[in-house]
Amino acid sequence: MDTEKRKAQYREMFGRVADALGYKFSPDEEIVDFILEQEVTLEKKHGNPFCPCQGLKGNREEDMKIVCPCIPFNREHFDAMKRCWCGLFVHKDVEDPDELEQLAYSEFNS
Amino acid sequence: MMTEDVILYTLSTCPWCRKSKAYLNERNIPFDNIEYDLADEETKEMIRNVIEESGEKLAFPFLKKGDQCICGYNPKKYAEILGR
Repeated sequence: MDTEKRKAQYREMFGRVADALGYKFSPDEEIVDFILEQEVTLEKKHGNPFCPCQGLKGNREEDMKIVCPCIPFNREHFDAMKRCWCGLFVHKDVEDPDELEQLAYSEFNS
Repeated sequence: MMTEDVILYTLSTCPWCRKSKAYLNERNIPFDNIEYDLADEETKEMIRNVIEESGEKLAFPFLKKGDQCICGYNPKKYAEILGR
């Protein structure tokens, strides 16, 4: 698998899904490129482009919920942060992703 | 008084985990780091238990100091519990 080619495919495939959900790729191109690269590595190792910032549990049903883009499985939490957990995607109205914080699930859920 | 060691659970693929490590290193805060994805199964299970008991999803970075836990890279909260 050619990493750069696969990253370009992700951009197109994931971009379409994220767009329909009201998200876009982060304007921080450095982080986008890094995360996509990690996802290619994860796909090579595990068969799917899992979120690089969430852990695999070894339970297929649970693990499939963190295949990128995992927004639908975490919608309310991510909407509250205006970004997904790894920061690959942000709400369409976000211009400066540095202003956004990772909000812990327990905090969001309290 | 017992020293409360700082433990940082991370993923080798996570950019925010790298930022967390840099935060601690830049402030000379000693910490133990375990990379969940590179750990053996027994260690992974231990980490899953710690994180789930804190009410979090299995999301990284996860910093622990005594009873206090912070899930996610959050410099403001790091400063609050680490004092710098």
